[in-house]
Amino acid sequence: MNPEEVEFLGEKQLISIIPTFNSSTIHLVSGDIGPFRASLPVNVPLWVAVNLKQQRKCKIQPPDWMDVEQLELLKEAEKASRNFVKMPSEHYMIEGKLLLSIATDDIARADEVRTIIKDIWDIRMAKLRSSVNTLITGKSYGNVDNLTIMEINSMRPLIPHAMDQIHRMKMERPRFSTPSQSTSLGLLNSSTVISTFK
Amino acid sequence: MDTVENAEDVQSDESEYEEIAHTAAEVLELMEEAWLNEKFAPEILPHKYDIVECLLGQISHVEENLTNVGNDDLRRSLHQMELDRLRYLVSSYLRMRLEKIETYVYFILKQEEERSQKGEENYLNKNELEFAKAYMQSLDQHFTDRLHFWPGNIPTEWKNQLIIPNIHSFVFMKAKNEIEGVMVSHVNEEEEVVDLRTGSQILISYSNVGHFIKTNQSCLI
Repeated sequence: MNPEEVEFLGEKQLISIIPTFNSSTIHLVSGDIGPFRASLPVNVPLWVAVNLKQQRKCKIQPPDWMDVEQLELLKEAEKASRNFVKMPSEHYMIEGKLLLSIATDDIARADEVRTIIKDIWDIRMAKLRSSVNTLITGKSYGNVDNLTIMEINSMRPLIPHAMDQIHRMKMERPRFSTPSQSTSLGLLNSSTVISTFK
Repeated sequence: MDTVENAEDVQSDESEYEEIAHTAAEVLELMEEAWLNEKFAPEILPHKYDIVECLLGQISHVEENLTNVGNDDLRRSLHQMELDRLRYLVSSYLRMRLEKIETYVYFILKQEEERSQKGEENYLNKNELEFAKAYMQSLDQHFTDRLHFWPGNIPTEWKNQLIIPNIHSFVFMKAKNEIEGVMVSHVNEEEEVVDLRTGSQILISYSNVGHFIKTNQSCLI
């Protein structure tokens, strides 16, 4: 999955905006939004919020967790814990990135928020990298609780593939001692067939 | 004429779906899930054309209504954006299935035949099946035409080696409800039993959990 597709999934998250226009309820397929009354907060999907913000038709109310004090606490918790801490939002990275790029004026201390989110991401990614080793040498499954989609996606090109290759190599070995598995095809052929079949 | 008929088809589909009481938003959720499952599962999954058609019905419904809305209207741009998102979802889903069909065409058709014989539900939709058969035919035709130039006896053994999906590939899975007794097979033929809590996420070989995806107990992420 490419990052744009993760973003696509994250963009349906609801976020509160303060519109600067009036409009009756809009019936979207994904659910009704509105009615919009100027200066009354209303919840809309993130992609709507981004669009309206770009047209300067609303102010965005950043989610509660997008606050320097709270993020600092989260960062400390992440540092202290050996496991991954549950993030306040399943798509914190996407919300952070989108809102900080289009709505810097609506977020208090935006630069600091940006830095802390990046720090948290870095800490988590470092944890992820160091746990790869245990994952690969250990069992044939791994828990990835509390990882967000974006984080999972960042290890997708490598880890499942590596585990698959290890699995294949382990499966190869016993076969040489059990020749009964070879079929009427040549040995070379049968090994390719079996290794894909298993 | 054609378009009128299609529109009626769509409407009847919609009403059928309403009987199972799904709101449009729920259908969209189901489509997203089906999209992700199909994206990450190594093999082709049972088709979800009921959802696809329902969503396509929604799309043409919205499109129809949009013709009455002025060009500079805010509603128009929002609806239009949403339509683009929905279309992307549906076409990406369908394209992924076609890609799998093209890659594993011999294997998939063989499986489908076995399923028909056993009286099981087919994984491919009628149109997909038609496409798969036509694709296999042109592939066969192509090989016959080319191998025509082969010196000596034309080799045939390669036909017995099907390209099959690697169902052992590792996937990220999220349990939708509590699942007890997931069998994790190890190489030394030992098995370990793992219990999953609702919402827990795990990296695991698809062969151990494929049936949970098909029975809708968990989804791929």
